[in-house]
Amino acid sequence: MDVQEATAACRDAFAELASPACIHDPYPFMRWLRECDPVHRAASGLILLSRHADIYWALKATGDAFRGPAPGELARYFPRAATSLSLNLLASTLAMKDPPTHTRLRRLISRDFTMRQIDNLRPSIARIVAARLDGMAPALERGEAVDLHREFALALPMLVFAELFGMPHDDMFGLAAGIGAILEGLSPHASDPQLAAADAASARVKAYFGGLIQRKRTDPRHDIVSMLVGAHDDDADTLSDAELISMLWGMLLGGFATTAATIDHAVLAMLAYPEQRHWLQGDAVGVKAFVEEVLRCDAPAMFSSIPRIAQRDIELGGVVIPKNADVRVLIASGNRDPDAFDDPDRFDPARFYGTSPGMSTDGKIMLSFGHGIHFCLGAQLARVQLAESLPRIQARFPTLALADQPIREPSAFLRTFRALPVRLHAQGS
Amino acid sequence: MRVVVDQDLCGTSGQCVLTLPGTFCQREPDGVAEVCVATVPQALHAAVRLAASQCPVAAIRVIESDAGNDEHASADPAPSPAEAERHAAKDQRNPGGHDGTV
Repeated sequence: MDVQEATAACRDAFAELASPACIHDPYPFMRWLRECDPVHRAASGLILLSRHADIYWALKATGDAFRGPAPGELARYFPRAATSLSLNLLASTLAMKDPPTHTRLRRLISRDFTMRQIDNLRPSIARIVAARLDGMAPALERGEAVDLHREFALALPMLVFAELFGMPHDDMFGLAAGIGAILEGLSPHASDPQLAAADAASARVKAYFGGLIQRKRTDPRHDIVSMLVGAHDDDADTLSDAELISMLWGMLLGGFATTAATIDHAVLAMLAYPEQRHWLQGDAVGVKAFVEEVLRCDAPAMFSSIPRIAQRDIELGGVVIPKNADVRVLIASGNRDPDAFDDPDRFDPARFYGTSPGMSTDGKIMLSFGHGIHFCLGAQLARVQLAESLPRIQARFPTLALADQPIREPSAFLRTFRALPVRLHAQGS
Repeated sequence: MRVVVDQDLCGTSGQCVLTLPGTFCQREPDGVAEVCVATVPQALHAAVRLAASQCPVAAIRVIESDAGNDEHASADPAPSPAEAERHAAKDQRNPGGHDGTV
């Protein structure tokens, strides 16, 4: 059966994205959506946009044509918010705020994410990368298989976050274990047990951050948590403890699984397209091009997790999106739209060679970090982690190969992995 | 050519600083972008237009005339892609103007 037949009666794209076929490869279905139902209305009433131009427009219009839900509306857009800690935390994150509150809160943390600050982190990121690769080397050199996802892709962003937040490594590894459950619980189609698991994990994160905030208050250091506690204590109206916990929770959720998945996808691209590895052996411009193309080909967050609510009736491609509709954007589909990226299923770093970050040589925006006021706060942090990792992996393990098929997390929302087993080719084989 | 950043709009993504580090910088206390040159040298005109068109929140405004005011910029007979982008962004802020059809 071809894709068109299989999905001609698609009533709910979110349910379809959770199907085993889409977990394996969601892109044929996304192509069908773009071509046949680009302004999809799901059974739940959610609207899903899948064309690059529409997504780009909606992201830019956030704060104008679209808004976040007002506090009093939470129950309408998240019917289970009254009883769910995770949904309540989500409602207080930056991603759900509108200007001017959004602007004020974002600027509080922006100083730790300026290009200069992220550049200052480069040496410690490079050190963590080298140490993790050293740690994997003995087993690989003995001919054993190593799970690159767990040992490297997930460990790197965790250790970088531990440094940024001023947390002991073991605490960070403990917290991170619950992140996947929280992310799944936030999906619009999460089951009640999934949401309950998310809430249990969120409660642990909340309790931990509550304690961390107290420790940073009595013993401030040079880290994001100490800085935010300081901003909070200078002006009690600015940032409540609850908001502070939501912000830290949001950074934790946004930063880990996504960065890890992109490292995994980058390594898979290196293995699948050895003829493209030369991009990682030359200058920084080539490395950047490779990184951007990995981000384009496999957006880790496939669609937006937060509602964009139409401020008025909006006509898009002949379909009227009614006022107050909850609009989501299928970022992963926009990145594969042939109207934006020629021959979109081909892995070709040349699209991003020598360009501004995130922009193709044709002037099209790669959507994985979003666009508009909610543009990913950690975009440059993720880019630097990737740029510091990939050439070192290539140089250290030039004969890296898959030891077994990678195992994906069965998620409609995040294109992430559970395991990525690798080994070294035997010498001379 | 002159270039200005609307500091109320700036989303602190730092994309302009990555594109043109000598022309844009970020304020230390809050990451808001600033222009660090008085006028843009000819050689960088195209790059500045690109940075403006790429800004996620359309906070960068390019004033093509050196005498520079808004009227001059909008009256440019052949608006640059950056300006077209900016005008499109303006239209979207105007309720009832642009219907979102692209």
